[in-house]
Amino acid sequence: MCGIVGYIGWRDAAPLIIEGLRRLEYRGYDSFGVATENGDIRVVKKTGRISDNHLDLSALSGTIGIGHTRWATHGVPNEQNAHPHTDCTGAIAVVHNGIIENYAVLRRKLTEKGHHFRSETDTEVIAHLIEEYYTGDLLAAVTETVRHLEGSYAILALAKDDPRIVAARRSSPLVLGIGDGEMLCASDVTPLLDHTERVTFLEDGDIAALTPARIDVYHDGIPVERQVDHITWSVDDAKKGGFTHYMLKEIYEQPQAFYNTIKGLEGDSRLAMVRIAPELTVAACGTSYHAALIFRYLAEYYGRKRVNVELASEFKYYAPPIRELVIAVSQSGETADTLAAIDQAKAHNCPALAITNVLGSTITRKADWTLFMCAGPEISVAATKSFTAQLAVFMAMVNTMCDRQFDDVLVHAHCSIERVLSSELGKAVALISGAEEMFYVGRGVFYPVALEGALKMKEISYIHAEGYAAGELKHGPFALLSPETPVVAICMPGRTYGVMLSNIKEMKARGAPIIGIGVEGDTEVEHVVDIFIPVPDDHPMVRVLTVSVVLQLLAYRTACALNRDIDKPRNLAKSVTVE
Amino acid sequence: MQAVILAAGEGKRLRPLTHTMPKAMVPVANRPILEYIIRALEKNGIREIIVVVGYKKEHVIRHLNTLDVPVRVVVQEKQLGTAHALACAAPLITGDFLLLPGDNYVDTASIARIMREKNAVLTWEHPHPSNFGVLVIKDGLVKEVIEKPQEAPGFTVSTGIFSLDPSFLRYLEETEIPDAVNRMIRAGTPLKAVAAADWQDAVYPWDLLKLNAALLRDVRQERAGRSGPGVVIRGRVSIGKGTTIGPNTTIMGPAVIGDDCDIGANCVVMPETSIGARVRVEPFTMIGQSVVLDDVNIGSHSRITEAVVGTGSHLGDHATTFPTKTIFSIEREMIGAKFGAIIGDQMRSAPFCIFRNCIVGNDVVIDDGKTIYGEIPDGAKLL
Repeated sequence: MCGIVGYIGWRDAAPLIIEGLRRLEYRGYDSFGVATENGDIRVVKKTGRISDNHLDLSALSGTIGIGHTRWATHGVPNEQNAHPHTDCTGAIAVVHNGIIENYAVLRRKLTEKGHHFRSETDTEVIAHLIEEYYTGDLLAAVTETVRHLEGSYAILALAKDDPRIVAARRSSPLVLGIGDGEMLCASDVTPLLDHTERVTFLEDGDIAALTPARIDVYHDGIPVERQVDHITWSVDDAKKGGFTHYMLKEIYEQPQAFYNTIKGLEGDSRLAMVRIAPELTVAACGTSYHAALIFRYLAEYYGRKRVNVELASEFKYYAPPIRELVIAVSQSGETADTLAAIDQAKAHNCPALAITNVLGSTITRKADWTLFMCAGPEISVAATKSFTAQLAVFMAMVNTMCDRQFDDVLVHAHCSIERVLSSELGKAVALISGAEEMFYVGRGVFYPVALEGALKMKEISYIHAEGYAAGELKHGPFALLSPETPVVAICMPGRTYGVMLSNIKEMKARGAPIIGIGVEGDTEVEHVVDIFIPVPDDHPMVRVLTVSVVLQLLAYRTACALNRDIDKPRNLAKSVTVE
Repeated sequence: MQAVILAAGEGKRLRPLTHTMPKAMVPVANRPILEYIIRALEKNGIREIIVVVGYKKEHVIRHLNTLDVPVRVVVQEKQLGTAHALACAAPLITGDFLLLPGDNYVDTASIARIMREKNAVLTWEHPHPSNFGVLVIKDGLVKEVIEKPQEAPGFTVSTGIFSLDPSFLRYLEETEIPDAVNRMIRAGTPLKAVAAADWQDAVYPWDLLKLNAALLRDVRQERAGRSGPGVVIRGRVSIGKGTTIGPNTTIMGPAVIGDDCDIGANCVVMPETSIGARVRVEPFTMIGQSVVLDDVNIGSHSRITEAVVGTGSHLGDHATTFPTKTIFSIEREMIGAKFGAIIGDQMRSAPFCIFRNCIVGNDVVIDDGKTIYGEIPDGAKLL
């Protein structure tokens, strides 16, 4: 997914477009660029987030412009590949959202005709095609161009001698905004709402020519009228697409994020590295650290492979790595401590493998290899779908260690994740939202799951929640248990079941109300605990996922009940770029 | 023109399928019913679409976000009837609007017909009118809506699709739309009856089979994936990306097969069949006139006809669905129906099971060699 914005009117286009792109950041944020027309075409591009970068706009004068914020799914996000793309002469600039399926064929044909390509993107063929058909009328050139395109697109085009923006769409969204002596266009209404309430939605196959005064829409070359709608909703509503919070939106995107990541890694030869490496060390922070701890349990139990897991911020204080493969995990790929861990590994001649969600982030340039989680942009500060996607990468590694015996389990795991999304949590939320402190306990692989559950609760509900290995409770924390401290206990069938059950009974004896998470139909646990939350009786590896998702929802619903600012919790930032 | 789609209801009579999703999200020909309505509106140039969500609202919202049509979402926190649902959207209504239930199929031509009228209802001739709001019509005007009458005065029923002006909103103290409509008529506003071109409702789960067959007629032919040697494909067939079709398998359209499926060797897919994503069908199995949802696994040597198979279910080898007719009691109504089987989500059956005209709930586990008939509740274990 990418976002595009165009402006034509009487104001300086570039700052307006940058502001619009910032509104579209939820559609992608790995690189961006703007082109303006003022006698000639000027282009400025940059990698990274719009919010984090200060772009020097002094080169971009003019009241006509187009911009693009990119979320690369294939191809590296560098300045070359960033939009806008220009033709050979630099007289035409194009931004595009979508995928041109026949771009390889077109590219070959255009190269034969002598066109010179500078990027690896599919979009650049559009610029060269327009050049091919351009004879002074941009609208005619675009009309001819789209005839040759297969796939999906929303295109905005500028030409040096044509004082118009030409827009075209098929299967990718594009909205026009009608202002006062100015016209805008964008991937969705959010960038338009600052300037106008009057919008027109283009239909599939429409081509529109924008001038400051009017919009002319054509379909199959015939002028058509498109209805003008009045938009009365706010920017935030639009971006969250109906969800109350980004966090909830992202929680609900987890089945897809997990499946996409598993699918994306299918047949990836880099997974085999974890199998060859004599030993593995994982360095990560926060939620990623918890995902890494889960990996340790899974890899050691199923894969019989030694795994060290270190907090990236403490990594440099330990003895340096010797010969192991160092895996660094960071959603944003910009976490300062995690980057430092990679530097450390490389300084000691250890191979470094990165796991990240953002193509082209700093971590991908530092590491020897990178595995991507296909979670899509994550906006909420509390990580949810990136955690699940990290687990997908780790589980794919474990699967490789075990000769792919879990193929079937992983491919269908999203079904169980989907099911726990509708878990009934009302009673548990009522209990927790009245508490000031609480505990999460688990054993084995569910110990890091408990840690992550507690972290989510702390982050967004501000309740002091502590995660413990159930066996450690007796070494101190037991003194804190009282009827005012709810305990979330994870009790799953398997090696830890019996001892976990007796731990629960001990905690109950201290008067602490227990919220038990067990598998569906486990009447024994249901009987012992005060509130029982069931998860599907799926493969043990899948239960790690489902319990994690239940705990995310528990934190989310509690924070809702307490009226917290869920997407932007106090004192926290999405990516921590300082040590 | 605005359109308000009511997608807040559960669709209790469609259980067990609606345990995990609202009725508007039940997939037919691999797309939720709601999506067909949105597409029909879009084709008529209606771009301001408001969807009222409630039951399992996140599922609806998530799906709406994947469409490239912008829609506004309004939440009905408690399911207090259809009139209340519309009342939730009332603050956003600025002019004449269409009102549509989110869980029936309607075609583009019908929308075009009703759009032209003001204060009108789309009507349909139904052989079993007692399940619907029956219309008393005189001179092309509706005199009264009689909701689910014992003795229907005629066969013309309301599709629930109305073209209304904002003054209708003042009758919304009623709980259900038909009552509000009756009040409006009594207050002197005439309501025109406009016949629909094509309209389908799925009241009971087995109605999905008919709806599926109807919607498959318009399926777009697409051939992605890989086919082994000797594969025969006839008629309108859509095959998704990443799907493999084993050697000597025959597929007869109209049929649709989703992404990443694995259809084994020597299988037969008969007409009027929808197969979701990531479905595995083992060799020597035949499927026809059925709706198979995502992530289903069907064993070898099976015969699945006139069946709905819920998400993630596993049917062991030699599974047979046996279409016969019996009487079911659904929401305290007795109703006879002929079909093979309605199977909920995550069912597991061992080999050699016969599903004889039955409705099986979610998470049911069935041991080998059982013959299943009647209704099986959620979570049952037949050992």
